[in-house]
Amino acid sequence: MSLRFLRFITSRWTRLVLVSSVLLGLQTTLLNDMRPFGVMAQVMVLFAASAGVVYGSEIGALAGLIIGLMYDSVLTTPLGLASLVLGATAYIAGAVPYFVRDATWWSKIIAVAIASAIGELLFPIAQAMVGYGGWVEWRVFIVALVVGGVNLVFAPLMLLITKWTLKETLVG
Amino acid sequence: MSVLSAKRKRAIALLSLTSIILITLDLQGSASTSVLRGTFGTFFRPIEGVARVVTRPLSNAWYGITNYNDVTKENNLLREKIAQQEGAAVAAAASVRLSQELLALNGLPTLAGINSVSAQVIGDSPSNFSQTVEINQGSESGIKVGMPVMNAAGLVGKITKTFARRSIVMLITDPEYALSVKVINGPEAPTTPINDPEAAVSTTTSTTTTTIPTTQATSNIPGFTPGATTIPLTTVNVTVSVPALAPTLTVPVNGALPVRETGILEGRGPTRVPIVRFIDSAQRFGTILPGAPIVTSGGSLSLAPPDIVVGTVTKVRDRLGTAGPILEINLVADLTNLSFVRILLYQPITERVAP
Repeated sequence: MSLRFLRFITSRWTRLVLVSSVLLGLQTTLLNDMRPFGVMAQVMVLFAASAGVVYGSEIGALAGLIIGLMYDSVLTTPLGLASLVLGATAYIAGAVPYFVRDATWWSKIIAVAIASAIGELLFPIAQAMVGYGGWVEWRVFIVALVVGGVNLVFAPLMLLITKWTLKETLVG
Repeated sequence: MSVLSAKRKRAIALLSLTSIILITLDLQGSASTSVLRGTFGTFFRPIEGVARVVTRPLSNAWYGITNYNDVTKENNLLREKIAQQEGAAVAAAASVRLSQELLALNGLPTLAGINSVSAQVIGDSPSNFSQTVEINQGSESGIKVGMPVMNAAGLVGKITKTFARRSIVMLITDPEYALSVKVINGPEAPTTPINDPEAAVSTTTSTTTTTIPTTQATSNIPGFTPGATTIPLTTVNVTVSVPALAPTLTVPVNGALPVRETGILEGRGPTRVPIVRFIDSAQRFGTILPGAPIVTSGGSLSLAPPDIVVGTVTKVRDRLGTAGPILEINLVADLTNLSFVRILLYQPITERVAP
């Protein structure tokens, strides 16, 4: 029983929730204030995309859905929307091996940036699909570009964090 | 490996379905999603609080680097504006008081008679596709969904979600925001006599000064005589063709008073100014000019009481047919720099629950 509990506590999913909480704290405070070119950097999108790139589509999608569900809880859009968007983002990011045979560190970084930009584009589309129209306009491309650019800078650090967070169970 | 993969696929399907169900429940306004958000909020607020304290120096450094020149420029501009407005404010305050007294005497609702709660803005929406802010007052202070939110300048938005001690305010610029407003159009400029000798023959130009007769109106309100209220009348140049048998010439006083027309204000995101549409292109209303003030219209179905200042018209886009013009407006409230707001504890008659 105690070993089971220990396994649960040290499991990759528990770590994912804890790390996501810290990143969400950064998202709602620091990144909310610092807006380069009037666009908010998206650390949650970065985390989901990194999960996809490092651990593939399946684990990435699972991680994206969980990260998104946590992000949903602080947004005003319908609950579950960001979950689907980040799940899809991570799944897309996980498709890198299909396009790049032997992915190098820099190709992974570029993949994270591209997946982040795609993820950011998916947000207004998903919002429009559930009736929250008005956001699908030319500005979304600028937003996606800036988010992709910022995430390109922070991707190396996030890839390391993701690698540690979603590592197989540390105990047992 | 394949067993693991099947398990993961099942988990992905399960989480995706959960997300879709949650979206459906939330769009239906289910209370369970609010409970879920509230519960997560209880767990997440301490983490956010710590993150805010830890990252404050970084935020301040960022503001210092990016906004220093703007702040200096803005300070100089504001000092100049304050000097200009100090004198005008005294006269405006007297006018507002007079207006409120008159409305109260006539039993009409005024903003002064509506209770309000002051709140501090504690955060913006952590998304690029939502125009909301969070405030530190909630349902415990009597705040309910739909109540209008103002700052010192004018209307800011409306409450869209309430928790015990915090609320979410949707800003006017959000594409989901819509509100019934009035455009107050100034009186038409008096017609100028044309120096055309032929035209002078066919028309008679007369300058008429009118005053309101004190005996025409009566009132049941003790101490209030409508005729005693003086309206500053200007000399009106009216070009009229006087019929031969007309015993008297009556010049309508309201020709010199502002005309009002209602429309719907809609937000369009942070980069585009809000617009007012469905303005009736009636002849009576005349031409809308940039600078015309826009205030809330009120009414039994409107979520905001009448006469809250919203902004001024900056551009009029005419459309063909009966569609009426679209007005681009400049908001009086600066939504990029909100610190303190006031929530009017106002609910329209149709929303009030009978005791």
